Amino acid sequence: MKMNRRSFLGTTAAATAVMGTPMILRAQPSEYVVASSLPLTGPFATAGQLVSPALKMFEALVNEDGGIGGVPIRTTIEDSGYVPATALANYQRALATEPNMVMYYGDSTGFMKLVAPELKGDNATLMGSTSFASELANPAENPYQYLPGPSYEDQVDILLQNIKKAGGTTVAFIFSNTEFGRDPIAHGKKKAEELGIKVVLEEATKAQGADIPTHVTKLAQSGAEHCILQGYVTGVWPQLIGGARQFGLPTQFYGTFWGMEKLIADRVTAEAGPFLDGYSGVMPYRYSYDSADAPAYQRYAAFQKKAFAGTPLENYLPTWGLQSLVSLNLGIEALRRVANKGEEITAARAAEELAGIKDFDTGGFFGGPISMENNKIGTGRVYTYKAETGLFDPTSDWFTV
Amino acid sequence: MINGNLKSNYAADERVLNNRYKQVFVYGMALLLAVFGALANDYLILIASKMGLLLIAVVGINILTGYTGLVSLGHAAFVAIGAYAVTIFQNVTAGIIPDGIMIFFAVPFAVFLAAAIGVIVGLPSLRVKGLYLAVATLAANFIVIFLIEQDVFARWTGGMVGLTTNAPSLFGWVLDTKREMFGLIAVVGFVTLLAAQNLIRTRIGRAFIAIRDRDYSAEILGISLLRYKLTSFSISAAYCGLSGALFAYFYARILPEQFELDLSLELVAALIVGGMGRTMGPVFGVIIIVMVPEVIKITFGAITGDAAGMAQLRAPLQEIAFGVLLVVFLLKEPLGINQIVDRMLRAANRWPFARG
Repeated sequence: MKMNRRSFLGTTAAATAVMGTPMILRAQPSEYVVASSLPLTGPFATAGQLVSPALKMFEALVNEDGGIGGVPIRTTIEDSGYVPATALANYQRALATEPNMVMYYGDSTGFMKLVAPELKGDNATLMGSTSFASELANPAENPYQYLPGPSYEDQVDILLQNIKKAGGTTVAFIFSNTEFGRDPIAHGKKKAEELGIKVVLEEATKAQGADIPTHVTKLAQSGAEHCILQGYVTGVWPQLIGGARQFGLPTQFYGTFWGMEKLIADRVTAEAGPFLDGYSGVMPYRYSYDSADAPAYQRYAAFQKKAFAGTPLENYLPTWGLQSLVSLNLGIEALRRVANKGEEITAARAAEELAGIKDFDTGGFFGGPISMENNKIGTGRVYTYKAETGLFDPTSDWFTV
Repeated sequence: MINGNLKSNYAADERVLNNRYKQVFVYGMALLLAVFGALANDYLILIASKMGLLLIAVVGINILTGYTGLVSLGHAAFVAIGAYAVTIFQNVTAGIIPDGIMIFFAVPFAVFLAAAIGVIVGLPSLRVKGLYLAVATLAANFIVIFLIEQDVFARWTGGMVGLTTNAPSLFGWVLDTKREMFGLIAVVGFVTLLAAQNLIRTRIGRAFIAIRDRDYSAEILGISLLRYKLTSFSISAAYCGLSGALFAYFYARILPEQFELDLSLELVAALIVGGMGRTMGPVFGVIIIVMVPEVIKITFGAITGDAAGMAQLRAPLQEIAFGVLLVVFLLKEPLGINQIVDRMLRAANRWPFARG
């Protein structure tokens, strides 16, 4: 066929129509999907059941703000039972059944590691999670996964700096014999050495049903002034502290994020007495009752009063829920930045925008504006529990590591 | 009753697929799998692959428990050995053995290693039976996982953190998508099923069945219990090792926690639900164990809608529904789904003259 002006124009128009139509369809879906796996059953069901309403609230508030570039979002929640392979199946199911999925929220370090090598090409999705595992903050190898705060290593850093400031000279590490428990220990030892703090005990315990008297005896023999607990959620850490106090040990105990939940501390205090008084730990966020400087918290509180009346969430949002909200908000911010530039939302573009978040105001979750560095946010401060008021109060300034 | 199945020579009687129904069924299924592999969406491929991986291991358990009558609650250990062996072998020999033919060395290595350790784990079976053996094999699971998690071996096993696995390559064709892996799993699964069907019509298989039915009598008949019990253990361990090797190829990462007691129990549960000592038993069992929770999930999801709040209530209900379903199946038919299917096929065959 001879090419003339008319046939050229015709062919070009047809080609544009054929190639462009799916682009337009993809660029403007009727909704974006934020899918998630949470442990609604199994050992961490308590956490999963408290986090899932926060996701519902997140969906409502994001849509109130116009979704992502005017397109509303929808959240889905699947149960993982805290089994990494189940969460992986959930993710694969979401990939196959939700063509408009733009973000995924996972629920364990195990899952995040299991899925990490699969996040390639079309299978890649921006992915936040409940884990602060140090290995996940590795944008060079895996730009899609990120931490909504400091890694466990950073958290132990913060605690050690705080111990140093208080003039401490000896520290003990007690941790559950799981990946979660072991995560920051090697780094913690190195850091302690740098700071001139002597590590007098490294003790691994079972994650559940640990042999408390043995561990307490070892702690007593070590003579540690300070003790960092890592790798526990609802159990073991309160019993360890209780055991140490019964033994008459004056050791100062510290926890990291997952051991800092007010609901757990309150329950322990109500059931077993005020021995957690003075327990400290690092928390990347403000607690939900510390809402004076946090407009985001005030907005959540208003929503919670209305939507969750009669549940434990009516007047308090657990730290686990805050973590999920930070993670999802950061992801949404990245997605919005892509959409606002009029580009098609892809995992690669979203990851780029996420890594470029600088001096971003989260509405009060953190001490100030935050920046993503190495796909994590290395900031936090130390809080101390007061049994009398049932509140964790800040006892340090915001540390940045 | 199967009609028109006259055999006029011994060779016809000895064939693995010794009647037309079996032939049509097997060739039909092969065709169906091929069509499925080409047309199904990613999610269905994932579920089918999971079923295939579990199936190969359950076929192994079936040889041990279903045919030889020895109970094991530790076979996840062999899946773990297969998965770790194939990955470690590949990591250690990378550069020495070309990638394109690596799979032909790594997988047999994993299978033989699992079989060899199977013999060791099988030793107590010479002294103890039934529940006692179940408890003795339980130890295998814990010991293997414990060793994998030790820091001493972390250089090879990755310890608690797990190990990133390699994608298999067939003469340079890298099977790095789930669909390609499904093809491999389906072919291997199909072959293992046929191999198991073949095994039980051989001398060895008949010895297994004799041991299952009464081990004293078998010994009096001249069957060496030592030899055949250990053979049974090693063959079943080899199947589990093969399943593990494919597991490592299928998932991008392996973690010790994936091979704990849950998996051992799942293997035995699948076998019991499907039907012990029947070739198709593992197939039905695996379908129930893997697919029913998915179906329940989707059904509950459709009933309650996608509302985030409902997921909270749905999750525990799904677990309960699955549990109830298993109990009902076992109450209605203790011999497994295979028996139910048999009864339906018989009824269809004899209709309208007799039912069931």
